[in-house]
Amino acid sequence: MNLIACVKQVPDTEAQIKVKADGSGIEEAGIKWVMNPYDEFGVEEALRLKEKAGGTVTVVSVGPARAMETIRTALAMGAEKGVHITDLDNADAFATASALAAAIKEIPFDLVFCGQRAIDDDSAQVGSILAELLGVPQVTIVTKLEVADNKIKAVKPIEGAQLLIEASMPCVVTAQKGLNEPRYASLPGIMKAKKKPVDVKKAADYGISADFKANVAKMMPPPSRPPGKIIQGDDPAVKAAELVKLLREEAKVI
Amino acid sequence: MAHGAEHVYAVGNEGREVFWNAPYEAILFIFTAVALAIFAYGLYRRWQMWTAIGKPENRNDSVGERIKLLLLNGLLQLKTSKDPYPGILHGLIFFGFFVLIWGAAIDATQFHIGLPFFHGGFYLWFSLTMEIFGLAVLVGVVMALVRRYIEKPDRLGYKGEPDNTPDDAIVLVLIGGIIVTGFIVEALRIHVNYNVDGFTWETWSFAGFLLSKTLAGVGYDTTRTLHKILWWGHAFLALGFVAYIPYSRLVHIITTPANLYMQTLKPTGTLEPIRDFETAESFGVAKLEDFTWKQIFDSDACTRCGRCQDGCPAYLTGKPLSPKKLVQDIKKHWLERAPIVIAAKSAAKKSGQEPEIPEPEKALVGEVIELDELWACTNCMYCMENCPAAIEHVPKIVGMRQYKVLMEADFAPELQLTFRNMENNSNPWGIGAHLRGDWAKELGIKPLAEDPGVEYLFYVGCAGSFDDRGKKVSVAFAKILQAAGVSFGILGTEESCCGDSAMRGGNEYLYQAMAQANIEVMNGYGVKKIICTCPHGYNALKKDYPHFGGTYEVYHHTEILARLISEGKIQLKKPVPGVFTYHDSCFLGRYNNVYDQPRKALTAVPGLRLVEMERKLEKSFCCGAGGARMWMEEHGDRINTARAKQAVDAGAESIAVGCPFCLTMMSDGIKDLSKEDSMVAKDIAEIVWEAMGLEEEQPKEEATAEA
Repeated sequence: MNLIACVKQVPDTEAQIKVKADGSGIEEAGIKWVMNPYDEFGVEEALRLKEKAGGTVTVVSVGPARAMETIRTALAMGAEKGVHITDLDNADAFATASALAAAIKEIPFDLVFCGQRAIDDDSAQVGSILAELLGVPQVTIVTKLEVADNKIKAVKPIEGAQLLIEASMPCVVTAQKGLNEPRYASLPGIMKAKKKPVDVKKAADYGISADFKANVAKMMPPPSRPPGKIIQGDDPAVKAAELVKLLREEAKVI
Repeated sequence: MAHGAEHVYAVGNEGREVFWNAPYEAILFIFTAVALAIFAYGLYRRWQMWTAIGKPENRNDSVGERIKLLLLNGLLQLKTSKDPYPGILHGLIFFGFFVLIWGAAIDATQFHIGLPFFHGGFYLWFSLTMEIFGLAVLVGVVMALVRRYIEKPDRLGYKGEPDNTPDDAIVLVLIGGIIVTGFIVEALRIHVNYNVDGFTWETWSFAGFLLSKTLAGVGYDTTRTLHKILWWGHAFLALGFVAYIPYSRLVHIITTPANLYMQTLKPTGTLEPIRDFETAESFGVAKLEDFTWKQIFDSDACTRCGRCQDGCPAYLTGKPLSPKKLVQDIKKHWLERAPIVIAAKSAAKKSGQEPEIPEPEKALVGEVIELDELWACTNCMYCMENCPAAIEHVPKIVGMRQYKVLMEADFAPELQLTFRNMENNSNPWGIGAHLRGDWAKELGIKPLAEDPGVEYLFYVGCAGSFDDRGKKVSVAFAKILQAAGVSFGILGTEESCCGDSAMRGGNEYLYQAMAQANIEVMNGYGVKKIICTCPHGYNALKKDYPHFGGTYEVYHHTEILARLISEGKIQLKKPVPGVFTYHDSCFLGRYNNVYDQPRKALTAVPGLRLVEMERKLEKSFCCGAGGARMWMEEHGDRINTARAKQAVDAGAESIAVGCPFCLTMMSDGIKDLSKEDSMVAKDIAEIVWEAMGLEEEQPKEEATAEA
């Protein structure tokens, strides 16, 4: 089976995000970059399918030079090879999906995994656009997957129920938390990953221009939270009354 | 040719004819030769097995120090005697036998060559000495029999089931038999010789003499016949003993002293770092061959005494791990594997081909040693510290963990998360690395980046930087340093996790990354002296960082506190009333011998009464958080609850600790016992800071609002 896992490098969930003064993006200094956690579920699922049924796993990533670390992480987990498309900084979902689609079309594929969304821009569009561009079915937000007879059976949770969705292969699946527990890379895996082949491509190699359909006009820090208030006083009854008054008049919650 | 017979024995020239009534010396020579041959063959065979499997390791350096350790713990039995009952019983047998063997040698020398002094006063005192030490052995054997077969302590078994083997009984009966027959032979001789020809000094052989009194009425010829039979019986038992040594638990007469000589001379708990990440094909211990020969030899020095098991926190709370069983399981596996390997190698030698060694039926990691055993260890070092045979359990366990983590990446998911947190945010909690220095913001403590000219680096560690409880300890300690006028700084966001949990959890690769990051920063600032509030960082920085070029003077904060108090740099004037017990952190106590300073600091606090728990000092009971267990699920009875219970039993109202892991575990243990209303766990720094009475009264309103 030819399996593709699309990965994106994002800031660690615990990293301190500071918006640049000019609103053009975030301060990158001191940020620890990691693989988007939802993409990691996709990589893990691809590896498990490969280990069960044979085949190869190719990781594809759109991102700046540092995204190579994330590709190596997936290779350390057990993927065979990688494609890295580099010069699409600040690309929108459509351009990103177009680059991924162009790269994937050059590789035979049966199943493509994406994370259901990336935790940095939260757009949740790339997987869907990619499926459209590849002209294949898509099942999004998958928590359980079975593959048999060139078909997938995927479970997708929705409010109050679960859907079992069947789709023919090739297709695109976007991974949700719960699909699996991603593995910890073994040391030989890490060492071997350094030598695995990664094709470094430019967007232009696929005829994709940096003229994006949607652009982030400005990035702003979230509104700062007003400081908490401590009600002072000795008499609990007086303090309680004050609390009720504030909750009603100031916070307007009761 | 009995030279002794040339003497004329009389009062004033006491003596006796050695080998009296035992004239077949040629036969004895033959049997002695046979016994020695059996012994030698057994030893040769054992030697082959010791050298068949395992990586090379030099344990013959620093000969002088090794001989000293051998004499102290082997000849003088210092470690064995630390446990009274078994110590005494072993001492009685050991010293008794030691003396008796020299006695037998003197007897034989007298018989064959003649000793000019073997008569008169020497003879009498010699007889008395033999008598006393013979009885000592007998008492020792009886004590051993009582312990093993009547008292049956848990340590001589596993989970309530005694692990006695026929060999245990054979050995004791053999030893007892040698002594008993010796005394009977003596009594028989005295019975027919006493008061004959003026032989009145046999009272010096008091045991034999008293025994001879029971023979009243037995005739001369009968006595002589009985004597002859039993003399030979005695000789055969003694020769049998010699021949049996390499084939039984008696082999410890050789292997245990050898192991004492070959014990590690490195600081307690040091783990040999992996140095060839780029080139090595495998890491850690997957099979017997991955151990060093010494790590395997250890198992042959084990006598199953069970002292290790007696204080193992995992074992005592019902986990499958027992250090004794672990070592014995390795030994069994080795006893199966070594002959196969020897045969394969010798076959290969004959055919001139590479040896084809068949795969073992059972995998060492996962089958011989089950994973639940492997991961239950807290690296608390109780087993190694208390093993009288100097067996090194913990490095074996970490070696096997390394295999599971580095090679197979097959280990607990919660530990995987811990490692990822350490990778991404350089702390096991996974809290944003940028927050590391925030606890110190309001105290005006400068990072080394701003002021590198300080005397001490306060290496805060992860708990002190990120854990809410740990941060309070950091604040208290920093305030003490400030009040005492100590020049210090922190690394702030430049500090990395010390890596201890990664190292002991088998992730040497991650540990080294952490260590190197810290060393690079510390060396960059020219750091010389470091204070740690966490014994895990303290131990790693002090003993493991020198492997990678990080050599510093490292202190634990309790050492600094004790010093500041004794030098009068800080005054403890405000009473901190209450009954406290001090819980020894393993990485402070057993690992680094810091036992006194924390107690000194506590006893300097006015109003504070210190009571000790039964398990303390080198026999202290782990809190359960070492060896990366802090980050792992614990199934069944909890170690920290058991420890908190011990504190309650000691009559303590509060538990004083010197370790943030212990602080968390003891606080949780107190909650498990539903004692949180009446009992509290505190770090010594917090107690000392309170006793300094410098904390400004908290605004009452704020305190109330928080509550």
